[in-house]
Amino acid sequence: MVFDIKGKFNSKLISSIGKPLERKEDERLLRGEGLFSDDFNLEGQYYVTFVRSPYPHAKIKNIDKSDAEKSPGVIAIFTGEDCLADNLHPIPHSPVPSTKYDLKLTDPEGKDIFIGPQLLLPVDKVRHVGEAVVMVIAKTNFEAQDAAEKVYVDYHELDWTADINSSLKEDSPKVWDEIKDNICVDTIFGNPEKVDKVFNSSKYLFSKEFHIGRVTGVPLEPRSALASYDSTSKRYLLYAGSNGAVRHKFQISKTLNIDPGSLRIICHDVGGNFGTKNRVYVEFPLVLWASKKTDNPIKYTATRSESFLSDVQGRDLLTKVELSMDEDYKFTAFRASNVSNVGARVISLSPLGKGIALVTGPYDIPLASARARAVFTNTVPTNAYRSSGRPEVTFAMERLIEIAAKSLGIDPIKLRRINLINKDDMPYRNALGVTYDSGKYEDNMNKALALSDLDNLSIRKEDASQRGKFLGFGFSNYVESSVGNPKESVELRVDADGFISLIVGTQPTGQGHETSFAQVAADLLGLAPEEIKVVFSDTDIVKKGGGSHSGRSMRHAGTVICLAAEDLIDRGKKLCSLLFDQNYQSISFAREGSFTWSDKKISWFELAEAIEGVELSGDLHTGLNIERENEMHEPVFPNGCAACEVEIDKETFVPKLTKYIAIDDVGRAINPLIVDGQTHGSIATGVGQALFETFYLDKASGQPLTGSLMDYGIPRADQLPSFVTELNEVLSPTNPLGIKSAGEGATTPALAAVINAVVNALEEFDIEHIDMPATSFNIWRSVNNKNKESKS
Amino acid sequence: MYAFEYFAPKNLQEATKAFNSFNDSKWLAGGMTLIPSMKLRMNAPSALIDLSSIEQLKGISIKNNILSIGAMTIHADVANSLDVINSLPALASLASGIGDPQVRNRGTIGGSIANNDPAADYPSAILGLKSKIITSKKEIDAGNFFNGFFSTSLDTDELIVKINFQIPESAIYLKFANPVSRYAIVGIFLSKYHDEVRVAVTGAASCVFRVNELEEGLFHDFCSSVVDKTDYGITNLNDDIHANSEYRRYLIKVMIKKAISILQKK
Ligand SMILES: Cc1cc2nc3c(=O)[nH]c(=O)nc-3n(C[C@H](O)[C@H](O)[C@H](O)COP(=O)(O)OP(=O)(O)OC[C@H]3O[C@@H](n4cnc5c(N)ncnc54)[C@H](O)[C@@H]3O)c2cc1C
Repeated sequence: MVFDIKGKFNSKLISSIGKPLERKEDERLLRGEGLFSDDFNLEGQYYVTFVRSPYPHAKIKNIDKSDAEKSPGVIAIFTGEDCLADNLHPIPHSPVPSTKYDLKLTDPEGKDIFIGPQLLLPVDKVRHVGEAVVMVIAKTNFEAQDAAEKVYVDYHELDWTADINSSLKEDSPKVWDEIKDNICVDTIFGNPEKVDKVFNSSKYLFSKEFHIGRVTGVPLEPRSALASYDSTSKRYLLYAGSNGAVRHKFQISKTLNIDPGSLRIICHDVGGNFGTKNRVYVEFPLVLWASKKTDNPIKYTATRSESFLSDVQGRDLLTKVELSMDEDYKFTAFRASNVSNVGARVISLSPLGKGIALVTGPYDIPLASARARAVFTNTVPTNAYRSSGRPEVTFAMERLIEIAAKSLGIDPIKLRRINLINKDDMPYRNALGVTYDSGKYEDNMNKALALSDLDNLSIRKEDASQRGKFLGFGFSNYVESSVGNPKESVELRVDADGFISLIVGTQPTGQGHETSFAQVAADLLGLAPEEIKVVFSDTDIVKKGGGSHSGRSMRHAGTVICLAAEDLIDRGKKLCSLLFDQNYQSISFAREGSFTWSDKKISWFELAEAIEGVELSGDLHTGLNIERENEMHEPVFPNGCAACEVEIDKETFVPKLTKYIAIDDVGRAINPLIVDGQTHGSIATGVGQALFETFYLDKASGQPLTGSLMDYGIPRADQLPSFVTELNEVLSPTNPLGIKSAGEGATTPALAAVINAVVNALEEFDIEHIDMPATSFNIWRSVNNKNKESKS
Repeated sequence: MYAFEYFAPKNLQEATKAFNSFNDSKWLAGGMTLIPSMKLRMNAPSALIDLSSIEQLKGISIKNNILSIGAMTIHADVANSLDVINSLPALASLASGIGDPQVRNRGTIGGSIANNDPAADYPSAILGLKSKIITSKKEIDAGNFFNGFFSTSLDTDELIVKINFQIPESAIYLKFANPVSRYAIVGIFLSKYHDEVRVAVTGAASCVFRVNELEEGLFHDFCSSVVDKTDYGITNLNDDIHANSEYRRYLIKVMIKKAISILQKK
């Protein structure tokens, strides 16, 4: 059941909430006392190396491991056949978003989607470069690597397909023989017939196709797993970083065919995720299985190269968008056709689904239709990547608006202003049936413009020109959504030692939960944040929880903490009533964290001491210990905008981002300092894709060409300006604290804002569009082609 | 990484002896290239002969208008040496633009030249200046040292001792860095001597090269319009995801012109 807990939060409680407190976790992390997955070691552990596919697509004809088995230090070598013999199951990925507000994607016949089962090791064929094929276990890492080189896999190479357009073709090589082509999802939303009608009679119609390319997360800490099996207790133990160990526990136990209670996962600090660590990787169940088989702990840590080759990746959407307007430039209808490249298996449809729900963006468009397709390719699967699906559709909309404004000869800001959803129309139901909870979109835009000094833009352009630079201004609005796993749980436990433990199901991967969750609980329980100890990361302690993704953690944890705190205060009153023989009604809870009646006063910790040794029965038997769960489906819609300036060298065409302004409505900012840090990282993620990042595959061989940091361009500090960030907090009515979400919002408009600025800088060349990443090479090529065009 | 033997000899004789007692030895300088390639298992020497304890290979000196730099001198030392800054500032500036602080404090001029990475910076200075490579066996004139893609005229057991640069009247190094790796997509080393102008290009092709036709023209008329007028017919430029050959050809021109105009102002 869904709790209706709207508007219950009393703003008088606020004391640490909203304060920019420094993060509790930073001192530990900066002192090198973080505990990341690879920091764990068990006595006598063996090491694993995986033999990975060198081909994008090939039949596995034979695996000869006889030489490798003789290699020094080798303990065991396992293949897909061994996994099948032990009845290991495919990983039960649940790619279709699960709340009732998510748009329902189906296969082309309207049925359940074929996801391409992910066996732990393949037996039929390999479907992407870097897919794990053979597991080699040895006493040392080097011995494992030496032996892995002596495993001979006899492949029969097959034709392959890597990009969306070629996978859509009828005669394309097929990634899976189980379905008739590569199209695994095809669903239409909205009202195509009506849209057609409006298009046919519209005054203006604009259309454009965009490809938002493939990127990868590059977390500082590559994935890692250390497993052991205890034959006495018959329990498995896994150390592995992820965005939420609880979900991993259930999925891994299904794969291994074991009772979830027999698996304990420990996940302390996680060195970056961005989506790459949301899903179970084959290595996790494999090391668990093998540690039982070899009766020894086993460790696997990916190298940076393996991380590039086999971490799940992001984006890769082909989108065709069409927009009609009337004579007053009011948008009348919109159509999108989106195709997501899911890679070799469907691991997540979140990018496609979340994007489709938001194709009309923050604009008031009465009619829309959208076709959502997903295709298999011989590439690493894609997953939600920071702001899953939203930057893609924002890019399409905001680029199309610029193109339309240019062709109409009107100010693109004006065109946006005419069509933005009015704050008085909130909550607003968009043409695809998705309801935006709250937001003041035009205010966001005004705030950004006030900081942009557009009055002097032409002077800045002139000045830049004198310095040999083309200067361009770019802008983008956005609305994004935060949905995610609907369930979250928390446990509050008062300890006589002077702190309250807050045991929470979700898992931070760098978001500062230890601080911001403590701020919420502290205010509700009348304590200081230092008195709240946030506990996560061990599935023997944390039994339920949804994990950090889709900007859900603060909102879901904040809400369930509110509920649990209420319960805990109620419990405290009942215990006082029992212990001190008072009427329940006469006891009140004071904001400074104590219970009072007549002239008496007792603190949380005194009460905890007082009940020690007291036999409590019935409802009170857990004492000052409360567990609470909550299920909350309703999404929230963070929103905002970005404005930026780019300077392009007139001779070399090197672009440089010189100014960046971000306005974000994250709902209530529990800790604005943490939010700001998240905004900075979030901007860098978006700018990275706009200017530097693409995961390139060689067109002839299908081999990755950006397999290291020498070729894959993650943004660096010296390539980014100092950011100007401001919040426009509009409290969400969907949850007691009014939280929306932070951390993904600022990524959402960054791609569009930067490319808009690049195109604007190149005004004099009359270039309609530049593909991402807008490197100097890409810009030069566009200008050069344009020059050639105009000469001929 | 594969298993290997390790030696740290104190002098050249010991070094050569250790080198020759294995059939697949390699000199180890800063290890900035060699060690990563071993970690990636693309290089599997049976023994590493670490040159870091051989004093003879270190140091910077100037005598008779010759700047002499020992093979084991790290980039940071070249960048910060007052001798280099005063006599050949272009070389100090080149060294200060290599990689990052960690790389500059490990990587050596000898290692860089011996490696002859087509995108490395130092090779352009070797060719762009009148220089000589002094090895454990002989002296090699700059023009005869680089042999193509990652290849030099060194014998396998030969090691670079030092490099002698004849100090020019003026010189400049300009790098158009790859935005990702920060190696050169195009690097131009331009120098002026009383009897010669030299233009060397790195990053653009499979090996560093000189633009002889242009050098001739610039010697007679040191002015950027010469670049437009000269047909210096560069072919076989690199084509990769960061820049195709056409863009590189374009950048060579842009960077040479820029280099000329900066030198003109000096
Ligand atoms: C992150 C990173 C960024 C970099 N960026 C740049 C850059 O921007 N520009 C640039 O030019 N370079 C760059 N480099 C390369 C670096 O500057 C070193 O110059 C280069 O790695 C080789 O020098 P080394 O001393 O480390 O040699 P090593 O790696 O130790 O050796 C390289 C090769 O030279 C041989 N060798 C070494 N010394 C001698 C000798 N005296 N005689 C004969 N053979 C010898 C070795 O046997 C080996 O084959 C970068 C490197 C890294 C890791």
